[in-house]
Amino acid sequence: MASLAAACRISSRLASGRAARSFTTSSRCLAAQNFTMPALSPTMTEGNIASWKVKEGDSFSAGDVLLEIETDKATMDVEAQDEGIMMKIISQDGSKSVQVGTRIAVLADAGDDISALELPADEQLQQSAQSTSQPAAPAPREEPKSAAKPSAKPESAASGTYEHNYPLLPSVGLLVHEHGISKEDLSKIKGTGPSGRLLKGDVLAFIGAINADRPAKVSSHLSKLAHLDLSNIKVAEKKAAPAPKASEAASKAPKAAPEVEKVLVQLPISLESVVQLQRRLQDSADVSVSTATFISKATAFANSRLPAVPHAPTASELFDEVLGLGKSKATKFSQGAYVPTIPDYSFTASRRASAPKSDIIDILAGPAKKSSSSSAQRATPRLDARLAADGIHTFSLLVPKEEKARAELFLERCKLALEEVPETLI
Amino acid sequence: MIASRLIPRSAIRTLPSRQLTLSRWSRGFASASEEKDLIIIGGGVAGYVAAIKAGQEGLKVACIEKRGTLGGTCLNVGCIPSKSLLNNSHLYHQILHDSKNRGIEVGEVKLNLETFMKAKETAVTGLTKGVEFLLKKNGAEYIKGTGSFINENEIKVELNDGGESVIRGKNILIATGSEATPFPGLTIDEQRVVTSTGAIALQKVPETMTVIGGGIIGLEMASVWSRLGAKVTVVEFLGQIGGPGMDTEISKATQRILKKQGIEFKLNTKVVSGDTSSELVKLDVDAAKGGKPESIDSEVVLVAIGRRPYTQGLGLENIGLETDERGRVIIDSEYRTKIPHIRCIGDVTFGPMLAHKAEEEAVAVVEYISKGHGHVNYGCIPSVMYTHPEVAWVGQSEQDLKAQNIPYKIGTFPFSANSRAKTNLDSEGLVKILADPETDRLLGAHIVGPGAGEMIAEATLALEYGASSEDIARTCHAHPTLAEAFKEAAMATYDKAIHF
Repeated sequence: MASLAAACRISSRLASGRAARSFTTSSRCLAAQNFTMPALSPTMTEGNIASWKVKEGDSFSAGDVLLEIETDKATMDVEAQDEGIMMKIISQDGSKSVQVGTRIAVLADAGDDISALELPADEQLQQSAQSTSQPAAPAPREEPKSAAKPSAKPESAASGTYEHNYPLLPSVGLLVHEHGISKEDLSKIKGTGPSGRLLKGDVLAFIGAINADRPAKVSSHLSKLAHLDLSNIKVAEKKAAPAPKASEAASKAPKAAPEVEKVLVQLPISLESVVQLQRRLQDSADVSVSTATFISKATAFANSRLPAVPHAPTASELFDEVLGLGKSKATKFSQGAYVPTIPDYSFTASRRASAPKSDIIDILAGPAKKSSSSSAQRATPRLDARLAADGIHTFSLLVPKEEKARAELFLERCKLALEEVPETLI
Repeated sequence: MIASRLIPRSAIRTLPSRQLTLSRWSRGFASASEEKDLIIIGGGVAGYVAAIKAGQEGLKVACIEKRGTLGGTCLNVGCIPSKSLLNNSHLYHQILHDSKNRGIEVGEVKLNLETFMKAKETAVTGLTKGVEFLLKKNGAEYIKGTGSFINENEIKVELNDGGESVIRGKNILIATGSEATPFPGLTIDEQRVVTSTGAIALQKVPETMTVIGGGIIGLEMASVWSRLGAKVTVVEFLGQIGGPGMDTEISKATQRILKKQGIEFKLNTKVVSGDTSSELVKLDVDAAKGGKPESIDSEVVLVAIGRRPYTQGLGLENIGLETDERGRVIIDSEYRTKIPHIRCIGDVTFGPMLAHKAEEEAVAVVEYISKGHGHVNYGCIPSVMYTHPEVAWVGQSEQDLKAQNIPYKIGTFPFSANSRAKTNLDSEGLVKILADPETDRLLGAHIVGPGAGEMIAEATLALEYGASSEDIARTCHAHPTLAEAFKEAAMATYDKAIHF
């Protein structure tokens, strides 16, 4: 596109040069050019001007960013195609919904004295006025306009002439010579190739050798194939009961789908040593640690590095096995997410009860503050006492059959932590 | 544009130090909180190309891959390793059966399958390491682990080295690819019942092999093991080999050539059931039209009935994303899912499951994110089957055009009339060109013959630029080359071939 724009620009220079020779008044007048809203994508019809990067009177060189344009999709920079001077900004920063092709600024050639230049007329307005009075505007009049748009399309519907990319395709070049088609006539043929490229079929249709509508038909057929067919998409039916499944998956991540066979794993665990330790702490340090804390810490300890669930090997595991690249590290162990159920004991209840735990200030402040926090603390020991009264509790887990060994190990670890070494938990 | 060109460079310069601090933090806490411009789930061809492109565009990008090496199916267990086996098995087969006719007499020829496989692994390792280097070079972070959606902006990564981290992204790209479709009733063990993954790593050449599915993957693997000495039978449900996209005439020509090489074909035949209990795997097959049921015993069965999108464990349900009935993630024309900042490309969504299609989409999707527009011409994606001779095509096939009632004209040229093919003593196959009868615009090109996979690039370029067959024919082609056959076929399309 850049080279095309450059080509357009060169032709505009030629045209303006020619025009300048015929109008003897002021050759410089035409050196100022209208700069119109460019189409930054094929589908863009309008855009907002985010900000101008050059001020009026500033000069710029090719490649400098002139302004930033916002579309519904993105913000894009517009580069200068050539060196020049910003003569006047017509649509200021923040202008909204500026139509493509609308004049947004006037540029002068580098080295021009902008105070001596006149602003050219807005060609778009002029054009619409002209096209109503005389539909077939002469071609040269047309060229400066397309040149002023840095990324304008080569065709311009108003006058029915088309600029073609050179070199022409070999077949087109040959037909042009064979049938003596003049350059002027050639510019009347609309190209149906990609980006309006003139194709053999277009010339054949022009000289009447084939049906006039055939090139367009082939082109529209091919352009349909150019896109992914996203019509008639049939959404997969959701598998039964997606909502509870999702919540379950969130809470018990490593467990499989709900329909698998489940087994109950149980283990009686005595909380006696925990209660003893709690008393010791209470007496010696005046710190109360709830049973819930012990149980949740024990659960966390027991959940870490559990042996992985036996499962059918995945494709890549099989492949690694075939190659003798058996991975030993990541697959052997995994983090568990078990939460045991204990009769007369609910985790949510105990968590709530243990929430107003004594904070460090209370401990540091010593007995003086005790009265203020005692009411809050009372809730926790009471639950603990009720639990401790039985001494032994049955921890149970409901797990899929293949996870039985893993769950048993989990409970064993809980037992070890709570019965043998509760002090390591705090 | 200058400004935007400067920003990425400085961003890259500051990146290493930032990564350093990030990794130090992530060791301390379970999650890293830095927000990325783009998170890519999957480091296959779609994912890694997008990561590199995004790095070049100056985006802060992270690519999550669980395999342990980048490149996905294509580089690790697909296109690349199979090409190594195809090339070397062809060499072996030629030395064994063909070199004598060319005046080269070789003594005892032995196959060392272990070294044979090692050559393949060397190629794969070199390429995957190369990709890893490219990611680093372009400032894209590579995270080894399994990614899944927590919510619309956060991805949980279970790291391969243990542990877990959570990353946030402004944009998220799903590029999780595909897996081999299993055959119902046959359990894949990758030893006796294999997919393409196991078929590139067999530890010995089987005596007999049955391939379920006569598509590109099936025929390539059939060629490899047939050349190495296995007796291969291909069972295909459709009436032609090469899959539905291959031109029927080309498919028939290919089948004749492959049959001469010793591969047996059972078309229009359905595999009813399989039994792996005895020493050989037994398949019960049923000819679709009026044939009688029979059973085939073979040492190895390759299941190559196609591939299906892979979204397992991705947590699509956590963000309410839907797939279509074939498991493909639903997207719009700019690869957006219904959550606009989550996009999806490659095998896991619509379109042909081809590495080069995924690569095109990867570049386009990053351009959609950074510039607002991208380009992929789906009418212009070539397909290549790397048997010998190769088969390649682009655009529409004759049966496609017939089915849509689109008029066409045909030009063909056989390699037996091409000077280079003749001198190489490798002259099987033909070039077939389809063009619009009036405008002469190219509609499709189909080649079976030596070097077809390279030659199709020319046809693709011509199609992309809207060339007519005359344009191809009037472009000078070097002599003596195989590509001259393509030029002559173009001549035959709009006028007459010179050498036939």
